[in-house]
Amino acid sequence: MDAQRLKDSFGQVARQGDAVALFFYADLFVRNPHLRDMFPVGMSAQRDRLLAALGRIVSHVDDLPALVPFLQQLGRDHRKFGIVAEHYPQVGASLLATLRYFLGEDWNDDLAEDWNSAYSLVAKVMNDAADDDSLVWPAWWNAQVIGIERRRFDITVLRAVPDRPLPYRPGQSVAVEAPGRLRQWRYYSMANAPRSDQTIDFHVRLIDGGPVSTVLARNVQVGDRLRLGAPVGSLTLDADSPRDVLLVAGSTGLAPLKAIMEEIGQRPVPPRVRLYFGARTADALYDLEDLRKRAAESPWLTVTAAVSDEDPGGAFEHGLLPDVVARAGNWSGHDAYLCGPPDMVEQTADRLLRLGVPGGRIRFETFGGDR
Amino acid sequence: MTSPDLPVRFGGGPPRLTPGELQSVVFPRAPLGRRGFDEDRVRAFLHQVERELAQILAEKAALADETARLRRHLAEGAAGAVTALPAEDAHIQAVRVLSQAQQTADRYVEDAERYSRELAQEARRHRDEILADARARAALVLEEAHQQATGAAAAIASSGEPLPAGERRDLEREIAYLRTFSGVYRSHLKSYLEALLRNVEEWERSEHDAAAAVRAEPPTAGS
Repeated sequence: MDAQRLKDSFGQVARQGDAVALFFYADLFVRNPHLRDMFPVGMSAQRDRLLAALGRIVSHVDDLPALVPFLQQLGRDHRKFGIVAEHYPQVGASLLATLRYFLGEDWNDDLAEDWNSAYSLVAKVMNDAADDDSLVWPAWWNAQVIGIERRRFDITVLRAVPDRPLPYRPGQSVAVEAPGRLRQWRYYSMANAPRSDQTIDFHVRLIDGGPVSTVLARNVQVGDRLRLGAPVGSLTLDADSPRDVLLVAGSTGLAPLKAIMEEIGQRPVPPRVRLYFGARTADALYDLEDLRKRAAESPWLTVTAAVSDEDPGGAFEHGLLPDVVARAGNWSGHDAYLCGPPDMVEQTADRLLRLGVPGGRIRFETFGGDR
Repeated sequence: MTSPDLPVRFGGGPPRLTPGELQSVVFPRAPLGRRGFDEDRVRAFLHQVERELAQILAEKAALADETARLRRHLAEGAAGAVTALPAEDAHIQAVRVLSQAQQTADRYVEDAERYSRELAQEARRHRDEILADARARAALVLEEAHQQATGAAAAIASSGEPLPAGERRDLEREIAYLRTFSGVYRSHLKSYLEALLRNVEEWERSEHDAAAAVRAEPPTAGS
């Protein structure tokens, strides 16, 4: 297998952009019509994801230590879509047909051999990881909605209970499929540490025009079914750290940090926790009541709320979270966990770094891509 | 006796010679006084064989040309593009048709999402306006109540009634103020809240209908 030849040929094909993925899926569905049902009606986002994943795989094809973990996760992620071993050769055939079509006269036996062995390797790593995963986890969990709290017209707290235990670490998230929006999965963080009754809270914010968030935030009713994928994510508590903790949450970015806060609270001697919860307007501080109640019960917890787009008149801090956090003092001795819109997270991390918090002690996650 | 000049006619052309006829050909003896076969009949037969050979050679050449032409056509097709092979061609056609159908579906989905986004943004703007309006009205109601109450208190203060100590007079003035204030404030606020509530109820009804519509979507395979 000639890695450079592989990269060059992919580069040549990838220049055709969306047409490549369009051809690939059409070829796949013409050869295997039954696979069409596994995908959503609108395929634009799916095509973007395919090209991104292919690009990433090809660019790392000669760097297996980086590539293998990515492929293993990809293999595990695909279980919830119903992908099984027999689908891999079907995908491989369409991939090769697509490359052959777009390379035209540049396609030859050597390239066919390169791509064939590369794809076989990719499929094997993905499928092996999926097989290993299936020994431990189901492909997905069925869950039932048992509680709905509409906190604002566009913010809802859902409580669901999965049909079997779903072990996860606070701070992680799962892909969620909403009723009436089949084959469209969106990631949501568990907003609580694992409970003995297995219930899980999700904080959902409606994104204007978002097909899934709209259903979850406004249409879901008690008794409705959700499907949940396996837990993923590395925004988890450094349990060995002796340091105090700073949590900075923008809007529904609160969810994973609240789970981490609960995990800390279960320790015999919790470290001091400073939680900053920010939004544009006061009515978007959808969970402040509960946070304040917990702060009143927990001497180790301090909650500070901030709004940026209106004058809170002394009730809360006024300003953007990066500014509010930065002016609040010296964080160099803290572990920081950040979650919220990309700008907020990026700027807060930047300010903390400049204030002397080592990069290794700042853990963060952003949202915004999912609708 | 079989005559060589009686071959079977096939096709519309001149009579063709068959290998069977060659084998069974019999010439009549020469007329009396001469030896061997009848010369004229032999010459005529040789002539027929010559014609037959010429025709066969011509047909052979034409077939060779046709074969070469077809070979060339095939070779050009294979080197040119995948579209030369009929099966492959049909597959690519199918892929194209499906691609176009998918693009149409994508456009519909995109349009629907954009429409939904615009509606939601519009609703959000309305909500913000209503809230801002409510705040402004509340401030107005407060201000008006405050003014009326101040007036009422002033009226008490200036009424010529004999008043006890200054402290008591201040207190009464305060009570009159508060009573008037709360009365005015309440009646204003009540009518405003009732109007708002009617709005919300209407909104919830339409919301409920929309949710019911989503629920009524036909089930999809595998759900």
